Amino acid sequence: MKLIEALKIAQHPVDDATMCLRVFLACGFTPLHLQSFLTAHLRVRRRDIRPDIQTGLFGDLVGNIERLDSSRIDVLAVTLEWPDLDPRLGVRSLGGWRPTDLVDIMESVEVAATRLQHALEVTCREVPVVACMPTLPLPPAFITRPLQMGSQEAQLRRVVASLVESLSHLPLIRIVNEQELALASAPVDRYNVKADLQTGFPYSLAHASKLGEILAGLIEDRPPMKGLITDLDDTLWSGIVGDDGVDRISWNLDGHSQMHGIYQQFLSSLAAAGVLIGIASKNDEETVAHAFQRSDLLLSQDDIFPLEVHWSRKSESVRRILTTWNIGADAVVFVDDNPAEIAEVQAAFPELLCRQFPKDDPRGIWMLLKELRDLFGKSTVSKEDILRTRSIRNAGVWRNQDSARETSSDDFLQLVDASLVFDYGRATEDTRALELVNKTNQFNLNGKRYTESQWRQFLADPTAFVLTAGYEDKFGALGKIAVLLGTAHSNGIHLYTWVMSCRAFSRRIEHQCLRYFFEERGADQITFEFMATPRNGPIREFLTGLVDSPLPSPLSLTKESFSAKVPPLFHRVEVSSHV
Amino acid sequence: MSNLEDRLTCCFASVFQGLTEAEIRNASTESIGIWDSLSTVTLAAVIQEEFNLEIDVEILPKLDSFQAFRDYLHSALPALR
Repeated sequence: MKLIEALKIAQHPVDDATMCLRVFLACGFTPLHLQSFLTAHLRVRRRDIRPDIQTGLFGDLVGNIERLDSSRIDVLAVTLEWPDLDPRLGVRSLGGWRPTDLVDIMESVEVAATRLQHALEVTCREVPVVACMPTLPLPPAFITRPLQMGSQEAQLRRVVASLVESLSHLPLIRIVNEQELALASAPVDRYNVKADLQTGFPYSLAHASKLGEILAGLIEDRPPMKGLITDLDDTLWSGIVGDDGVDRISWNLDGHSQMHGIYQQFLSSLAAAGVLIGIASKNDEETVAHAFQRSDLLLSQDDIFPLEVHWSRKSESVRRILTTWNIGADAVVFVDDNPAEIAEVQAAFPELLCRQFPKDDPRGIWMLLKELRDLFGKSTVSKEDILRTRSIRNAGVWRNQDSARETSSDDFLQLVDASLVFDYGRATEDTRALELVNKTNQFNLNGKRYTESQWRQFLADPTAFVLTAGYEDKFGALGKIAVLLGTAHSNGIHLYTWVMSCRAFSRRIEHQCLRYFFEERGADQITFEFMATPRNGPIREFLTGLVDSPLPSPLSLTKESFSAKVPPLFHRVEVSSHV
Repeated sequence: MSNLEDRLTCCFASVFQGLTEAEIRNASTESIGIWDSLSTVTLAAVIQEEFNLEIDVEILPKLDSFQAFRDYLHSALPALR
């Protein structure tokens, strides 16, 4: 992006009603064009927000962070450069580069890094932090030739690496990956020493643009895709299993098919992180089952569900898989080596992201895997992520029960030995709760999404609470599957947000959630900030069943009305309260 | 208006948004209240990028109007005259 474009985009008028995203850009240099590029890239990525970039004092990166009032910002973006750790590592200071000076520089860098780490640890308890470690070259301050890594330069890089390692464990900090930045912005083209001296802005415009783009990408923190549907022949493995035979398909160096093995290994990694992996293959079911018995397969059959292996259209397989997963096509990627199959599936599901597997092109496969990692990447793997595939597989038992009798019978519900754990409090560290709220569409009271800082601000209200529900039955644990956000008052409960994972439908968990408020919290009435959305039919149907009328907003439900409607509930309930 | 002036007008418009074309062509540090040193640096960066040239920092204080920038570009880039 050129600066002229960035300025036009950044200053393009927006509706005052557009949600403001307050970003504090902390840097020790003049933010100048980086501020314009960051604003522009945020507006390109998120048309629904109005970025408001605030900046601090020149030459005092850590002080700017320490003085931050986190209630006045939504995100902190930090761009660290070497002079922020010691000004003598920049060209605007003349503090000396003699060996004795370098020893002193090393000591002050250690101190500054520790101070920065502490400041960021404190800040990230309140707001999300996006940080970039030094992007510019060290000055020629060391006695070694530039070709040679000297011990002092290595020491400086160790300090920064140690800082990154410590910070990357924290849940609300996202750090720019230097490897990706180097691909986007060549290190040799980043530094503008003349501009640094004249204006205090050290970046070339091209580097400022790329850095702004990457920071905006991390600030956006879009939810990861949920599922991947893959073909088998010439995709998961090399060869056509029906023609070549189970023993002749390959995914190794000897078979010149190593990248298929890499793809399997990659899918296994996705599955372990909670991504749903399904198979859509035109093949003979028995032959494929035989192939999946090969012990050298890198993707376990336990990682895959379901397998749609038959001779029907691929779009039909995709439809069935999406139904089984109960998620929208817009959260799923379809991978196949055959362009005709991709075209057929894409025509049936325009919102599905389809990618061709470039079977004879290792570099193409490498780039595909990178793109998939970008689509599915997440900061942490939760307990629920690990449980997901198994619980969806087990959900088949529930679906069969539903289709047999329309609704789950009391007998069946009694048999499953279900238990619910309610956790009531104002804790903001539970990233799963916010994640569930921001990705659930069907059982969702009103579709409202929250940024991390909005979530924290809501829960800072003394009347506010978040209730989460974890579920387990004899078919396995589902983990945390429901989140209710609201305020508690003397006359009852006001619910602003209520979501429940589609994996938990048909278990009467929603009834148990409401009973919790009436029985455990002593509420006489619950008020719901209900709003119909294009996708929240399941919660609309549930609430309509309780009030027997068109749903007003807000909607109120008394204890008496609920008691008259609630079906028998068989869960064992455990409660923990932190308020 | 020449191609150079068209491009220079676009540069000014990106920094001083909301001005008419006529206002831009008569723009100076005196006529535009928000034209400060920061705007000068931004404007110079936009113009350098647009015309692929480097403006000597010594000369920046003298580039205090649209006309001054236009004359500077005419002398620096005679081919665009």
